[in-house]
Amino acid sequence: MKRTRVILVLLTIVALLWALGCAGKPGEDESSLPEASAEPYRIGVVISLSGTYAGLGGPEQKAIDMEVARINAEGGVNGHPIEIVYEDDATDAAKAQAAVVRLIDEVGVIAVLGASGTGQTMAMRADIERAGVPQISMAGGSAVTAQLSEWVFQTPWPNRIVVPFVLKAMAADGYKNIAVISDTGGYGVDGHDVIVKSAADAGVTIVADETYNPGDADMTAQLTKMRGANPDAVLVWAAGKEAATIAKNARQLNMTQPIYGGSGIARLEFISGAGEAAEGVKLGTGKILVPEAYGEGTEEYEVATSFIDRYTEEYGEAPDIFAGHAYDAFGLVVDALGRVEGEATPAALRDAIEATDGWIGVGGTFSYSAEDHNGLTEDDLVMYVIEGGTWKLAE
Amino acid sequence: MKRSMGVAAWMALVAVIGAVPLLTDDRYLLKVLVFVGINVIIVSGLALLFGYAGQISLGHAAFVGIGAYASAYVTSGLGLPWLVGVLAGTTLAAIGGLLLAMPSLRLRGHYLAMATLGFNEIMYVIFREARAVTGGNDGLSGIPFPEVLGVRMDTPASIYLLVWGTALVVVFLVANIVRGRPGRAMRGLHGSEIGALACGVDVARLKIRTFAVSAGLAGLAGTLYAHAVGFVAPSTFSLEQSVVLLAIVVVGGTGSLAGPVIASIALTLLPYADALIPGLGKDVIAFLQDWEADIYGIAMIVVVVLAPKGIGGLIRAARSRSRAEETG
Amino acid sequence: MGSAELLQYVVAGFKSGAIYALVALGFTLVYGSTGIINFAQGEFFMLGGVLSVFYYRLGLPLLLAALAGVVTTAGVGLAFERLALRPRRDAGALVLIIITIGGSMVMKSLTRHIFGPDEATLPEFTPGPSIAFGGVAIERQALWLWGLTIVAVLALTWLYRKTRFGRAMRACSLSHDAARLMGIDTARVVMVSFGLAAALGALAGLAVTPLTQTAWDVGATAGMKGFAAAILGGLGNPVASVIGGLVLGLLESLSVAFLSSTYKDAIALIVLLIVLFLRPQGLIGRARREKV
Repeated sequence: MKRTRVILVLLTIVALLWALGCAGKPGEDESSLPEASAEPYRIGVVISLSGTYAGLGGPEQKAIDMEVARINAEGGVNGHPIEIVYEDDATDAAKAQAAVVRLIDEVGVIAVLGASGTGQTMAMRADIERAGVPQISMAGGSAVTAQLSEWVFQTPWPNRIVVPFVLKAMAADGYKNIAVISDTGGYGVDGHDVIVKSAADAGVTIVADETYNPGDADMTAQLTKMRGANPDAVLVWAAGKEAATIAKNARQLNMTQPIYGGSGIARLEFISGAGEAAEGVKLGTGKILVPEAYGEGTEEYEVATSFIDRYTEEYGEAPDIFAGHAYDAFGLVVDALGRVEGEATPAALRDAIEATDGWIGVGGTFSYSAEDHNGLTEDDLVMYVIEGGTWKLAE
Repeated sequence: MKRSMGVAAWMALVAVIGAVPLLTDDRYLLKVLVFVGINVIIVSGLALLFGYAGQISLGHAAFVGIGAYASAYVTSGLGLPWLVGVLAGTTLAAIGGLLLAMPSLRLRGHYLAMATLGFNEIMYVIFREARAVTGGNDGLSGIPFPEVLGVRMDTPASIYLLVWGTALVVVFLVANIVRGRPGRAMRGLHGSEIGALACGVDVARLKIRTFAVSAGLAGLAGTLYAHAVGFVAPSTFSLEQSVVLLAIVVVGGTGSLAGPVIASIALTLLPYADALIPGLGKDVIAFLQDWEADIYGIAMIVVVVLAPKGIGGLIRAARSRSRAEETG
Repeated sequence: MGSAELLQYVVAGFKSGAIYALVALGFTLVYGSTGIINFAQGEFFMLGGVLSVFYYRLGLPLLLAALAGVVTTAGVGLAFERLALRPRRDAGALVLIIITIGGSMVMKSLTRHIFGPDEATLPEFTPGPSIAFGGVAIERQALWLWGLTIVAVLALTWLYRKTRFGRAMRACSLSHDAARLMGIDTARVVMVSFGLAAALGALAGLAVTPLTQTAWDVGATAGMKGFAAAILGGLGNPVASVIGGLVLGLLESLSVAFLSSTYKDAIALIVLLIVLFLRPQGLIGRARREKV
């Protein structure tokens, strides 16, 4: 007898769920706008606000929020206000996929920005391609645009551009024999592949090649091995707090070789974590860290300083590179929307994004093409040296 | 009377599950329900291991991963049919469970927890490093949709039906195991190993078999995951995921199948609550997502401290109470 | 490879090893009086670092900040035992393991909510260049780690062997019922051992912070390595735990030197599994009763 009752309860629950599910059509999203003269352009954003990449999603959301408010205050794009619908993927591939399905099929977005991480970005691809909605990823993994999809674009400088740039800088500084240490996470492995591939072209020889795992407490053993190979310089391709440990361990081992790195160590936490050991470390990444790199008085300089100033004023802290990537992703869509003639369908928007030619963002000057969905070149990068606890342009 | 009631119940369940795609074509809802169905399969196997045999596993996410990668590789790497991939994934995971269970036999409690935890970490390193097969950190994309006899299951509804059909069969089989001889023997194991031995139960064999079946079911769920999502990456099969699975089973309760199944449905839906309750504010979802780990952790502690038999225990208590009312 | 280089690997191994040993001592302390594994031990390690950084940033001098960090963490340990574990202290090992797993999830996640996702650091206790010793460079902070390990293991051994409380702990580890019959307040013994374990974990966590920085997510790795060390040496015996930690650190360091750094973690884990399967009482420990 009881079982029937349980089943009845279950049936009722399921029936309720359907009712709710069927009622669950989009339309009543909360952020409607004051001067909504025309139907808003809905743009979906999938970022990591929790989980491993929680530190990336926060600044990304702040940058986009600020820009949306500005654009809408200026009257929107083509008279349409912009409406953003955020989804948190919790740094999880399956959640990212569910999120993009919701954005595409329920909310009906015309473009998707994100995700924060490479794995999450890749997990969204099948649904992006099925629905034919353009996606601009803020993840730096080479796979995002190396495995080209006509619908997927990318804003950060991928390793396949940054690595050769840094390697050439090392060679130009006179260091031919280099020791490499990289992490076994996504960023390190991705970078390591490019390092091995492009070392010869850049004119450097890899004399030691070590890895470590995120979470490792001490890299002295790896560095001892590297020291034994007598390198001219050390290249650290790492993201996360372990990079600071490496710099400190190297100094404590009395290694005098200069240390080089890429975007992964372009974080204030690296400088504060490594302290004294960070002094003299050179790194290659975009120009946002020191806007003078854009060249004072240029349009690039104006764009970047305007963004940095407004962000700093709004949030009381300077934007990091992730905020910059999000600014660019959003800006690229807005720019493309402005160039769409007629109805702004996802397909028309995609074509407009691919036609982007010389759009100036914080990460550099973007020019997409059918073959290149990253849009940046080595010209958008610059070498820094850490001095006095801050970044300075390396000459 | 009782038996026909059971049959009716199963038929009603089949009807309910089968009716969902007729009533909605909401892709998001169906996708979320697919994730729920996959977790139901994993948790059924884990309930067998934990709730009946009293064995802990902190390595079940790794078995899911073995199934997912094996099936993905067999189908998209070797170009073999989908069914071969499913078979390969399930078998491989079961063999993995067998290999892990055999030396773990002497271990109980925290030693077994640690051995399975270590296994999960080792498999994680392998998923990450065996890039020729797994695609490394970037993951493996472009895994084909399930296809049987030329029928490609590429719509959300067909994948939903495939996953939930499988889940139903799994729950049915596990329910039969639990009710039959092996189930009684397992309960003996949970109570007292020596007692079970005295009753002529081959404890060693039973433990190993249970572990292998449980691992095999996790592998099966993994194959479904791979083809339903079309993308696999190592982070999906991390230790944290194993802990989450264990938390679901704990909340569901020991000595029960219905409890863990209900817990897996409820807890998996938690961060996707907006799929079912459309009016739900964004802040609520954001909060649930952000506090997921806390909710799981607190739920685990609260259940173990205040209601040690979990949801299953509550169901049984409610049932026996109303039975008492009826007869008395 | 010269002997100086080989010695450098040994020093590196012992440095990591001391970290593992300090965490392992926390496991041993709780196991010694309760017979259970505290899966939240890694989170005590994390809390020690994060809380000390918090106090240090409030403006407290380093020593006071460290002390406050240790005391607060010990308070968390006591509260956790009292609120979550004591109500079920007579339940089987399985139940207690699950409570500590749940506790570790909550501690970790709450820390992120309260203190944020970014890493932070403490200054070195005695800043300065490394000390050269026959061609081998030894970090000053490593000396602190070794010193702390020695003090901790001596203190614990003294506690176990020479004090009434230590004898009560040992009695509890053998049988709670028997200990109770002997007039020992077993509940208090268990609670105090949790507090001590938390304090010890916190001490390890904050001593490592100047080298590695700390953040909400450092507990899992530390806990795993510490547990592996404890198993390797033998649970329940402080000296064995320390030896286990040093052996594990050395093993990792030498595997970088002679094999590949990529599989360093896997090597440590495989050794752990082999020891678990073949000699669950550890390299040094004696087989003992297990709470079922």
